[in-house]
Formats: sequence, structure tokens, C-alpha cells
Amino acid sequence: MSPEALVADRVRKTYRVRGGAPVDALSGVSLRVGKGERVALLGRNGAGKTTFLKIASTLLAPTSGTVSVFGHEVQAEADIVRSSIAVVPQEGKPFFHLTPREQVYTYLRARGFDRASAKTRTGEALAQMELEEVADRLNITLSGGQRQRTMVATVIATEAPLLFLDEPTIGMDPFARRGVWESMRRLTRRGSTILLTTHYLDEAEALSHRLYIIERGRVLVDGSAEGLKKEVGGTLRVSIRGGQDLAETFSSFGSLVRDPEALHIITTPERLVEIMGVAVGMRLTATVGPVTLEEAFLKVVGRSIDAEN
Amino acid sequence: MTLSTTRPRAFRGLLAFAETELRVQLHEEAAILTSMVVQVVLLIFVSILAPSLLGVALVGAIVFSFFALGQRVLNEAAFIRVDHRLNELYLASPLAPESYFFGLSLGVMVAYLAPILLVALAAELVVHFTLVSAVTIVLSVVAVWLFSCSIGYIVSTLFRDMRAIWPWASLLYNLFGVLPPVFYPITSAPVAIRWISLFLPPSAATALINETITPANLTGLQIFLAAASLAVEAALVFLFAIYWARRSVREE
Repeated sequence: MSPEALVADRVRKTYRVRGGAPVDALSGVSLRVGKGERVALLGRNGAGKTTFLKIASTLLAPTSGTVSVFGHEVQAEADIVRSSIAVVPQEGKPFFHLTPREQVYTYLRARGFDRASAKTRTGEALAQMELEEVADRLNITLSGGQRQRTMVATVIATEAPLLFLDEPTIGMDPFARRGVWESMRRLTRRGSTILLTTHYLDEAEALSHRLYIIERGRVLVDGSAEGLKKEVGGTLRVSIRGGQDLAETFSSFGSLVRDPEALHIITTPERLVEIMGVAVGMRLTATVGPVTLEEAFLKVVGRSIDAEN
Repeated sequence: MTLSTTRPRAFRGLLAFAETELRVQLHEEAAILTSMVVQVVLLIFVSILAPSLLGVALVGAIVFSFFALGQRVLNEAAFIRVDHRLNELYLASPLAPESYFFGLSLGVMVAYLAPILLVALAAELVVHFTLVSAVTIVLSVVAVWLFSCSIGYIVSTLFRDMRAIWPWASLLYNLFGVLPPVFYPITSAPVAIRWISLFLPPSAATALINETITPANLTGLQIFLAAASLAVEAALVFLFAIYWARRSVREE
């Protein structure tokens, strides 16, 4: 048995475009996910996260490179791999004409669970996702967030050894997101492994043991959220709104990160008074906060995670 | 949590996925009721214009109903894949891909069976089927259904847009289900069309069933061609659909 849940080696995916130049969705992605880990693929829209997840979950053929799940190659042994995985597809919706209870229960039955076990797991998953009140209403009558929670409940109920979750909390309110995070933590404590994609930085930070930042089909950096934040070079972030052209003025106070809204100075508490003095003297609006993954992302990628291509 | 290292068996999860689809369809009562509109309208026309052909038209209605189930499969499979993206949930799982295709088809068929059985009951009251007729009906409609749902599933995988699917689905099933001699006797069709009709599953099935009710409309060769083409086409298309269901799980 492989010690790794997932190993990807130089995975490339090129889409042929009729009448146009081929598009490289993935340009040699290599990554590893250990058993019991929660790993996030973090990147902007179109970075290649979903393409990678589809390849790893046997639903898309790579142009080159290999991915193996628990030692089984996803191309050659897809049917064995499928027995060990469960997927929350991006923008997936539950059957509109099933209830959340029916959705989860029938999915478990289709995966081979017996009736009693499927019933028990269904109840537990619906409770975890706080869907009990709407469990017997048709999915078509539920809100977008409730439907998404139904999708997540469907997959977490399987407790599959490896779970792929593509933007699992999209459209959810903050309380529901935290509920999903707690369920994922519980799953990994029970032995499952989770690979999720997200463009929510707080989600990647709160949830993942490790994360990979992907941009334009390449892994730019990997590590823990804490490690990446440390590499930014300070513990405090001073944001000067509209100060993108003042890099020279502030460069001596720490490392600088620019985005379309502001100039961010990553610094230490000792330099804070000096920086604020300069900002006040120049009548600039400055805000102070702890360094977050956002600064690490900006520094690595060179633009905000919300920036369009 | 268990790790399986053996290949799952063929048709794994078939009945469970059929149950899923059955539950989905049973929540759509209006769709089940309106599935008989074409058949009922045509039966009313026939009963007014040519009451002597009502028995033939009732047999045609049974066969057409099973043929039209393929259109339901096409629309449902496309909707699950294009609109819901639920196919990814089911295909990246231990559920066998052929169970996804055939379970969906079974679920749809069982859900729509009740109104078809009512038409069959009406046909029995008008025609008084013999045992041979009844057996021929069962075998023929099973072949038509296998052919039709297989075509429906295969076609559903070829489109990325529901709007592009609807006109093709309608054309496919109305062209081959209504135009050939399904609701009218094969002997009323022009000679050239008669021979072509023997190779189209809905009209071949109807011709075979009608031959058991009113013999001597077809020659021995025509009966053989109708039976052979129906059986071979249904088997080949069904086997291809199983192959296609397995192959199309992974996009290239």
C-alpha cells in the first residue's frame, strides 16, 4: 500500500481549440498528498485547479504525466481508484426532484452501502450540514447554499478514503462554511484524506495542513499557510490605500506588495510608528492588520486572487 | 474507511441507481402524464377517421411509448451532465459506468410504465391478444426500449448545451417513431418505405406484433428481416452504449 494518498508527476493538459492556438491548462504540475492530510489547491479562476482535480478523479485524461491514488495509476486503474474516492464537482447541483435525504441516501446505496448503514450515514451527514429542517423538502425549493450543503453532505457521508472537493463552500454563508470545515476536520481525524480547491484564502488557511498555489497551470509554491506567511517577511501589514506609486517612500520599512487597491507594507511591530508617521504626514489613509495568506498570495502570484486574467 | 484494491464488478450499483432515477422521475407527475399526449391524440384521430384501424394504432401507441422513453433518457442524461454536473459525482465513484447509463434507463422506464400499461389494457380490450401476440409484444417492446434508450444515452453525451439537444431529440424520436408505419399498418405504406420500415426498430416491432394479430400481411422473408433487424440492432446498439458509457467517463 502506498504511503501517499495521491502523487502527481509532471501533469500536463493541453486543450486543442478549433481554429485557435492550443491552450495549456496545466503545464507540468507535480504534487503529493499524504494520507490523512487536508491539502488545498489555491489559485485564481482559470488557474488550472479544476482541471487537475478532474484528472486526479479519473474524469479527464492528461496530455502527459501521471497521477496515482493510493498507488494506483488513475489512467490505467481508474475503476480501482474510483472505489476509493468521492467528488464534490464544481457548481454541481443535487437532483432538483429529490429531497436532501433521498439525495444522500440513494448516492450511498449507489456506492454499495447497505440500507441500514446508508440510512444511518444519511442522518449523520444531514445533521453535520445542519440540513435536518429541510431534509424532506425537494432540492429545487432550497436556497443555493442549502443545495451546496446537500452536495457536500452527499460526499462526506461516504467517508471515502480520498475526497476531492472543488470549491466546496461556494455560495455558503459564513456559519455554513465553518460547519463544512469542521466536517472536513472530522473526516481527516477518522482517516480520510482531502484535496480541495478554493479561492477563499481564509478557507485555505483555516482548513489545510498544506497548500499549493497554482497560477496559469503551474505550481508556484507549496507549504503550510503559516510557513508561507512567514516567508512574506513580517507579522504586520500596513495598507496604504491608493499608495501604489509610493513604493520608494516605504521600501525601507519592509517588503512591499502592490495590488490594484493599495500598497501593502509587510513589516514588524517595531517599525509601525514610523510608517504611520510618514503616512499621516502625507495625509494618506493607512490601515494595519496581521499578515494573512492574502499577502503571501500577492507576493507569490503578483496579483490578488480575485483579479481577473 | 476501507480501501478496495479489486476491480469492481460489471453493473455494480445498477438497481440502486435505477431507484435513484425512479425517485427523481416519480416527483415529476406532470411529465409522466404528458408523455402520452402524442399517443392519445393520434388514437383519437384514428378512432374518428378510421375506427377499423384502432387496434393497429393501439399497438403502435404501445411501441411508440417505449420508443419515446429514449427521448426521456436523452434529456435526463443531458440535464444531469450539462446542467447539474451530477454525472461527475456518480462517475467518479464505485458505481459502474454502465450502471449509470442502464440504471437511468431502467428508472425512467419503470416511472413511465403505468400509463403505458393503461394503453396496453385498452389494446387488449379492443384486440384480444393471443399468447403468441403477448409474448411478441413483450419481446418487441424490450428490444425497442433497449435500442431507444441506448441511442438516447449515446446522443446525450455528444452535446454541451441543452438548447442544442432539444431540437435533435425531438427530430430523432418523432421522425423514427411517428413517420414510419407504427400507428398505421405497414401495408398502407408505399412499397419502398415498407422495406425500409422493416429495418427501423419501432416499425419492425409493430409489424411483427400486428402479424401475430392479423397474419398474412408480411411474407416469410419480411418477418425474418423484421425480427432479425430488431434483435440485432437492439443488441448491437445496447452493447455499444455500454462500451460508450465506460469510454466516455473520462474526457479526452
